[in-house]
Amino acid sequence: MADGEGCEATSAGPEVTDEGMNLNVDLKVKIGDLDLKNPVMPASGTFASGRQFADFLDLNRLGAIVTKGVSLEPWPGNECPRIAETSGGMLNSIGLQNPGVEAFCIGDLWWLSKNAPDAPVIVNVVAHSAEGYPEVIKRLEREPSVAAYELNISCPNVDAGGMAFGVDCTSAAEVVSLCRAVTNRTLIVKLSPNVTDITRIARSVEAAGADGISLINTLLGMSVDAHTRRPRLARVVGGLSGPAIKPVALRMVWQVANAVAIPVIGMGGITSAEDAVEFLIAGATAVGIGTANFTDPRAMMQILDGLGEWCKTHSVSVTDLIGSLSLEA
Amino acid sequence: MSGSLPAEVPVPPAAAAPGIEKVRITEHEQLADGIWRLLLQAPRCAATILPGQFVHLRITRADDHVLRRPFSVHRVRGRCIEILYQVVGRGTGLLSALPVGEERMDIVGPLGKGWQIPTHAKSLLLVGGGLGAAPLGMLAEQLASQGRHVEVALGGASADRLIALELFRRLADRVEVATDDGSLGHQGFVTVLAERMLAEAGFDAVFCCGPEPMQRLVARHAKTLGVPCQASLERLMACGIGACFSCIVPTRSGQMRACVDGPVFDAEEVCWGDS
Ligand SMILES: Cc1cc2nc3c(=O)[nH]c(=O)nc-3n(C[C@H](O)[C@H](O)[C@H](O)COP(=O)(O)OP(=O)(O)OC[C@H]3O[C@@H](n4cnc5c(N)ncnc54)[C@H](O)[C@@H]3O)c2cc1C
Ligand SMILES: Cc1cc2nc3c(=O)[nH]c(=O)nc-3n(C[C@H](O)[C@H](O)[C@H](O)COP(=O)(O)O)c2cc1C
Ligand code: FES
Repeated sequence: MADGEGCEATSAGPEVTDEGMNLNVDLKVKIGDLDLKNPVMPASGTFASGRQFADFLDLNRLGAIVTKGVSLEPWPGNECPRIAETSGGMLNSIGLQNPGVEAFCIGDLWWLSKNAPDAPVIVNVVAHSAEGYPEVIKRLEREPSVAAYELNISCPNVDAGGMAFGVDCTSAAEVVSLCRAVTNRTLIVKLSPNVTDITRIARSVEAAGADGISLINTLLGMSVDAHTRRPRLARVVGGLSGPAIKPVALRMVWQVANAVAIPVIGMGGITSAEDAVEFLIAGATAVGIGTANFTDPRAMMQILDGLGEWCKTHSVSVTDLIGSLSLEA
Repeated sequence: MSGSLPAEVPVPPAAAAPGIEKVRITEHEQLADGIWRLLLQAPRCAATILPGQFVHLRITRADDHVLRRPFSVHRVRGRCIEILYQVVGRGTGLLSALPVGEERMDIVGPLGKGWQIPTHAKSLLLVGGGLGAAPLGMLAEQLASQGRHVEVALGGASADRLIALELFRRLADRVEVATDDGSLGHQGFVTVLAERMLAEAGFDAVFCCGPEPMQRLVARHAKTLGVPCQASLERLMACGIGACFSCIVPTRSGQMRACVDGPVFDAEEVCWGDS
């Protein structure tokens, strides 16, 4: 990536936005009605609801907490093995195992409201049918500590629903309209990269009332053990994540950011602050960190600190970085 | 409850919160072909880990290697933790090439729920198959130091691959071995020894670790005789801290996570695969 060409003289407003540091940098961003103190958040499904990470990082410093997929009824998930490491990444076919929205509300959500009151909670919502999504949201509308929803129409690991909605413009728009009708909260739609033209899906969900788009979910992949001739995942195929998918994710974030007016949350293989900066430059307003949480449970703190340092060194705010890709030779 | 315990039996300490800790290799030697002993300086973990818990080791910082590798702690020695491991793939291959003094690795730990020692158990049987003997080391030390009667059944491919045999011989009241090639002890499976030992003496509990079919058999023999059995199970793990649901073990109480609800499970609770 290009080295810092920021001009030293014009410093960003003398604002202290982050409790953990005193860098005088502005990390604030906005997604729909949601004001975020910084753009760093977990990618759904890699962070549960954050509780398990409380021993390693300060949840309250995160821009937002994005929960694992929550369905109306409990989902059992898929057979094991559910993961396989691949070069520069991993495959997963967890299958959205979760205890259902009721258990989520009285368990993790309640815990978050007590222990991470400063981090807005974005609930990742899953269902087997288009009508199922608003049912989950209706239950969550009764919970004051939910800040926004992320509609997961892109999970490659369930048979009914999941990715099926995210690869077709009409059904993607239908899910969004049904959900829009039952909530005024910020609605983010998570898109699948397993499509021929990501911009068409992005425009449909924007037209249907989405306030933001997050991408990318995992790329459908497969791993084979040559010695046993068996697939490494019980379900044979699964979703690829990690550094291996970063170029694809960056490309799609750039395409979508140019195709829609609503903000984009970029994710896919981010492991460092510089990776995060690349996504912001490509057009993302915020970034999601997934697989990196497994490699290092403190990864998001390092990325957040590094982003602050980056902005300070280059005398920019996060908003200055967003979509600043330079196409000049 | 603690008031009713016999004075010499300590109350089991609560598991410490996991942390991330930089480690330094202080000893590293090959014990047999492909089997290594690794001593890591990790004072925080060494001071808090309980028998049967594990650590999640980050072997390399290379971008192409995203997951940590889980390893049981065999023993604690001062400020160090000892790991016994077998080279089976890329991660353990890279690990085996690291020299003493290397300090770029880190661990997340201590992790998981270890062995639960029944307070009043006097006589215990430990069954280890292959590298499965590793998580039994700390347990044997603790049981012996509490003055309990300990017997060990140890199995391996050949005499030189019976890891930790010396340790068990020193600590246990009786050690029986089985090797696949008959180079030491009984020729055949350790499960045969375990079944015989279980029938000979009245044990209060059995602790086993090793290949899953072996553990399933030991659990079955123990159940037949009404002896409670605990098994330490291996699963592929991404996070190691209970967040990702990679490491599921089906049990009678539902789907459990090997990394936080285990790796040690009550064998009767486990829904063993095709048994
Ligand atoms: C709680 C626990 C304790 C363990 N304790 C020990 C120990 O004391 N000594 C020892 O030698 N081994 C132990 N293992 C197994 C050890 O984790 C694997 O052998 C190791 O991860 C293999 O890594 P690799 O890169 O060499 O193999 P590869 O096959 O290249 O690894 C590919 C992926 O599969 C995973 N994997 C492969 N085999 C296993 C396995 N058996 N269990 C879990 N994950 C696996 C790896 O972590 C990695 O993510 C333990 C496993 C668990 C779950
Ligand atoms: C183990 C695992 C579980 C996931 N679960 C979910 C999920 O429940 N909902 C969802 O929208 N995305 C899920 N994802 C996708 C991630 O949120 C993210 O989009 C993807 O992994 C790319 O980011 P990364 O490369 O930083 O991991 C999961 C990913 C992984 C690795
Ligand atoms: S390894 Fe992530 S839940 Fe067990």
